[in-house]
Amino acid sequence: MSEYIPLQAEIVDIDRVTHDSYLISLQILDRDVSFTYRPGQFVMVSLFGMGECPISIASSPTRNVLQLCIRRAGRITNGIMDSMIGDVLGIRGPLGNGFPVDKMHKRIIIAGGGSGFATLRSLINYIVDRRDEFDEVFVAYGARTRQDLYFMQEYKSWKMDGIEIELTVDVGDESWRGNVGMVPELLDRMEISPPASAAICGPMPMIHAVTKKLLENGFSESDIFVSMERHMKCGIGKCEHCTIGPYRVCKEGPVFPYNMIRDLL
Amino acid sequence: MMFFLEKRDLPELLRRAGAFFEIIAPVLINGEPQLVSWRGEDLALSAPNPLLPPTRLFLPPRETLFTYLQESGLYTFEVPEVRNRLIFGLRPCDLRALSLLDRIMLAEPFDELYSKRRRSTAIIALNCTEPDESCFCAQMGAGPEAHEGFDLLLTDLGERYLLETGSPAGIMLARASEELLERGDDVEKRKLMRESRDRIMSARPWLSPERMRSRLREIDWRSLSEECISCGGCSFVCPTCHCFTIADLGLPDGERIRCADSCILSGFHRMASGANPKARAEERLSSWYMEKLEHMPVRTGLLGCVGCGRCDRVCFSGLHRTDIFR
Repeated sequence: MSEYIPLQAEIVDIDRVTHDSYLISLQILDRDVSFTYRPGQFVMVSLFGMGECPISIASSPTRNVLQLCIRRAGRITNGIMDSMIGDVLGIRGPLGNGFPVDKMHKRIIIAGGGSGFATLRSLINYIVDRRDEFDEVFVAYGARTRQDLYFMQEYKSWKMDGIEIELTVDVGDESWRGNVGMVPELLDRMEISPPASAAICGPMPMIHAVTKKLLENGFSESDIFVSMERHMKCGIGKCEHCTIGPYRVCKEGPVFPYNMIRDLL
Repeated sequence: MMFFLEKRDLPELLRRAGAFFEIIAPVLINGEPQLVSWRGEDLALSAPNPLLPPTRLFLPPRETLFTYLQESGLYTFEVPEVRNRLIFGLRPCDLRALSLLDRIMLAEPFDELYSKRRRSTAIIALNCTEPDESCFCAQMGAGPEAHEGFDLLLTDLGERYLLETGSPAGIMLARASEELLERGDDVEKRKLMRESRDRIMSARPWLSPERMRSRLREIDWRSLSEECISCGGCSFVCPTCHCFTIADLGLPDGERIRCADSCILSGFHRMASGANPKARAEERLSSWYMEKLEHMPVRTGLLGCVGCGRCDRVCFSGLHRTDIFR
């Protein structure tokens, strides 16, 4: 069976996340396929006739539903968002390595920017469902405006599960009474000190700034896990579109310990 | 096993192999050697190595990955079949490139179409006794003599060929032409290969992978790339280049195709958001060399440059001269 042939998945639910992003719940239709994954992995999503694009998995493997958070970015994501409940998409995956949840410390910092928060939601819900395996968890998340913040309706339940979450926006308005500024500034309120692990996903300047802050606070480079975004075509380490130095983000990544890619960014 | 084969008997040997395989061989087309389906034309064995590398026989410039057929909302898929074929006249540098490609395309999860093509292709390689002036395979350790990866190997000894077998399939092919062959030895071949190797080395005695790697960080890529028109020609002729893109043709039924792509092209790394990690030509040109000389060896254990000199032959701006590493 060719690695390029996707599984077929029916859209069983669509939730609006923001003005330009939707959370799509899928059910794999192929029989005898057990779709197991780790937080931080991704899939190649097919819209036949339009093509394929990489989308990170936004759901946790601890829950019995596969969810992808899709933002209108290009031709294919626009096409996917015009799909309806009952439509069939192609899915290849799970692909990539994901966060090394078994090797991470019990104290965890999660820093996200913009749509990069989708893959971190997978990790957060994983931690929520296995709460006794982790200690303190601090989430710092920022988006452009209040309207761009992902998964707002879930923050309350995360807090009830003892996950501290701090938010910020780049541009405030009268409806926003929270922080205005950069994600790294939120880390000043964090009381977690090393040894602890960090998971980061977002725009490059944010990744650089958050990493710098964590290193200043004594975090070890190998405890900082960065989820990278690149253009992808094959998703299985052949087409070379997503290379960062000797690594292919689809195969050796998308999650890299910071020491592995520090000099390549 | 080693045999001598009279030159006039070579077409007959190929014709007999043609009973089992489609034969692909270098033939002059409009004065240019090209690897094409052979129907008894004169073989272009003294011409330079064809510009389009045999890589493209395993990863075609455009191919169907699978077809999709929609029926009441669900899809069925079909993967194309591949034909048995024999490539004649493959050069040692290109054989080495295939070994490298194997280590990428056949690594888990393996690429099914590439794997099928590799398994259904027999190879008769040809050692290089008359290297082209653009060749530097000896410096890269990839030629001018093949040591593995062939079913049969020919060496031009002047009046006749030395024919060596390299696999059970090669022994079968030789058996099919048994009465054309006589027992041989490699005394003359060894002398010719030594001479060929010396010629290649003496054309660029300063060149080595170590030299190229150390120069990578000294070269002024910015000023060099000012002449680069980002056409991707160097990638499309490079035997180790294997980048591709994937696209869908047809709705609701159609085919998913893959096409050769190049990291030299400006949109290669561009994401849907518009962000482009390698927007400048200098970044793409330097990373092309970085990939060949540093990253491919890390990933595959083989050097990504086989010294075939095609990138230099094809470049409009003359950027890929080995002199940049001098």
